[in-house]
Amino acid sequence: MMKILIVEDEKELMESMLSFLKESGMNCEIADNLNDAIKQLEAHDFDCIVLDIGLPDGNGLKLIQELQKKDHQTGVVIVSARNSLDDRLTGLNIGADDYVTKPFYMPELVARIKSVYRRRSFQGKNEIVHNELRVVPDEMIMYVNDKLISLTKKEHELLLYLINNQNKVITKESIAEHLWGDHADMADSFDFIYSHVKNLRKKITDNGGKDYLKSVYGVGYKFALE
Amino acid sequence: MRLLNITNRYYIAIALVLLVVSSAFLAYRVIYVMDMEVSEHLLYEKQEIEKQLSLQPDLQGFHFVIGDKIEISPIDKFTSFKVNLTDTMIYDEYEKKEVPYRKLTYEQLIDGEGYRISIRKRLAESENLIGGVTLTLILVAIDIIACFYFLNRWFSKRVWKPFYRALNGLKHFDLHKGEKLTFQRSRIDEFNTLSTELSKLTDKVARDYQNLKEFTENMSHETQTPLAVVRSKLEVLLQSDNLKEEQVNQILSALESVKRLSKMNKSLILLTRIENEQFADEQMIDLSKLVHSHLENMEMFILSKKLNLKTSITSGVFMNINAHLGDILISNLISNAIKHGKSGGDLLIMLDHEKLVIANHGPAPVISDDQIFERFKKGDQPDSIGLGLAIVKRICDHCFCEIHYEFKNELHTFTIEFSGDKVQLREEQAANV
Repeated sequence: MMKILIVEDEKELMESMLSFLKESGMNCEIADNLNDAIKQLEAHDFDCIVLDIGLPDGNGLKLIQELQKKDHQTGVVIVSARNSLDDRLTGLNIGADDYVTKPFYMPELVARIKSVYRRRSFQGKNEIVHNELRVVPDEMIMYVNDKLISLTKKEHELLLYLINNQNKVITKESIAEHLWGDHADMADSFDFIYSHVKNLRKKITDNGGKDYLKSVYGVGYKFALE
Repeated sequence: MRLLNITNRYYIAIALVLLVVSSAFLAYRVIYVMDMEVSEHLLYEKQEIEKQLSLQPDLQGFHFVIGDKIEISPIDKFTSFKVNLTDTMIYDEYEKKEVPYRKLTYEQLIDGEGYRISIRKRLAESENLIGGVTLTLILVAIDIIACFYFLNRWFSKRVWKPFYRALNGLKHFDLHKGEKLTFQRSRIDEFNTLSTELSKLTDKVARDYQNLKEFTENMSHETQTPLAVVRSKLEVLLQSDNLKEEQVNQILSALESVKRLSKMNKSLILLTRIENEQFADEQMIDLSKLVHSHLENMEMFILSKKLNLKTSITSGVFMNINAHLGDILISNLISNAIKHGKSGGDLLIMLDHEKLVIANHGPAPVISDDQIFERFKKGDQPDSIGLGLAIVKRICDHCFCEIHYEFKNELHTFTIEFSGDKVQLREEQAANV
C-alpha cells in the first residue's frame, strides 16, 4: 500500500484529499504546516508527498530541500494555486516530480501520484497488472491474456487514467481535461471520449478480456473491478 | 484645427476689418484736408492779387502763375463783393482729359471799373488720391499681417511650448508600461497648474490601474483554493453510493460551474501576467513547427467537424517571443477557428515571415469587429468564457505585432502582422525540413 503525506493548510481541501486518496487505496498521513510536515518526514518514510507550497509557516519548497538531505525515494507532487510556468519550473527544478494546479480533479491527482510512484520505485520499467490486463505506461501498448495490443496515444492515456482510478466514477470533464488540457472544452470532446472508450472496450473484449470499462450514465466512466 | 491657426485667423480677420475701416476714414480725411488746403490757398491768392492790383492798377489781360490760372476780365456792372468757390472740370491739353479745378471768382472795383477775377487751382484727382491711399494701406496691411502672423507664430510657439510638451507626454502615456508622466516646469502659472493636475490625474489612474491589476490577480489566485475545495467535495460526493439521478445532475452542474470559474480565473491571471510584463524571457521560437504541432494536436476536432483544412505554412519562420506566450497565441487562434468554424467549412492557415492568417467559415458575427478582442465579449457563444481572443490581443500587443479581424464572404479572418525585427526566416532550417 502506498504511503502518502498530504501537506495542505486548507482544512476542507485536506479532508477531501484524505478521503479520496484513502478510498483509492492509499495510506495517508497529514500535516497542515511546514513544521509538522518536517516532523512527519523524520518519523516515517513516504512513497509520495502531496505538497501545497503556500503554507502558513513558510514555503513548501523547503520541505523538498529537507527531503533531499534524507536522500529518499520519496516522490513529490506539488499542489499550488499558482499556475505560471515560472512557478512550475521552480518547483520542478528544486526536485518536485510533478505539479498540479488548483483547482484540480481528484482522479488527476491520483493518476499523478501513481505515475510518480511508479517512476520512482520501478524506474519506469513497470506494468500495471489487473487480472488478464497488463498496461505498459511508457509505451502505447497493453497485453490482454498476454497478447500484445497496440493503442493510440489517447486510448493509452485514457486507459491509464481510468485504471489508475479503479472503481471510481470519473467525470467526462475530468477525462477531457486529462486528455486535451486547455483544449478540453472543444466541441465534441465528450463524443471523442465515448468513441475512445468504445474502441478500448472492443480491443479488450475481442481478445478475451472482461468488460472493465463501464459507462456511468450522464456522468462519465468507471474502471470497474468486477 | 490647431490653436495657433485659430488665433491667427481671428487676428487676421480683425486686422482686415480694422484696416478697411481705417483706410476709408483716412481717405476721407486726406481728401477733406486737401480740399480745405486748396480753398485756403485760393483765398490767400485772392488777397495777394487784390494787393498787387491795388499797387499796379494798369494790369490788364492775363497774368500767369505756374500751376494756377488767374483771369481778370472787365465787367459791365459791378454787382457784389461776393466770393464764389466752385469746382469745375476743365479739359487738359497735355493730359488729354478733363481734370478737376477749383475756381474762386469775385468781382473787384479797380479805379472805379468793375473786374471779374477768377483764380483756378488744379485739384488732386480724388480717384488717384483714393488709389494712392488704398495702395499704401494695402502694403502696410500686408506688412502688418505678415509681421503679425510670424511674430504670433513665434511667440505662440514659445509661449505654448510647455502646453504642447504636456500634450505630447499625454499622447505617449501608456498605462501598461507603468511609467510615471512628468512635466517640465514653465514660467506660466496656468501651464504649471495644468501640469500639476495632469500629473496628479495620471498618477491616480496608474495607481488605480495597478490596484485593479493586483486585485484581479489576487482575487483570481485566492479563488483557486476555495474552488479546489468545492470541486474536491463534489467529486468525493459523486463517489458515494445510492445517489439519485437528480442528485447526480445537481453535482454535475455544480462541477460544470466550478470548471467555468476556474478557467476564467486562469485566463484572468494570464492576462494580468502579460500586462505585468511577466513574460520577459524571449527566445526564437519555430512558429512553423508550433502551428503544425497544434494542428496535429487538434486534428481530431478538425476531422470531426469535417473542416476543410487548407494550409500554406512556410517552414523555418522563427519569432522572438516567450515560449509560453507563443504557444498560447497559436493554440488560442487555432482552437478559436475550430470552435467557431462551420461544419464542413474551410479552415485556412497561412504563415510566412510577414504574417500569420487564420480564417474559418462561419455565420456573421453578432458583435462588432472592434469589440471582438474585448474581454467577456463572446457573441452568442454561451459556453465560451470570452477571454481567449482578449489574451491573443494582449500577446500581440506585448510583442508589438498588429492583429486584425475581418469578416468577409462568410469568412472570419484573423491576421497577425509581425513587426520586422521580431520574425526571421531561417533558410537553412527551411532546407532541412
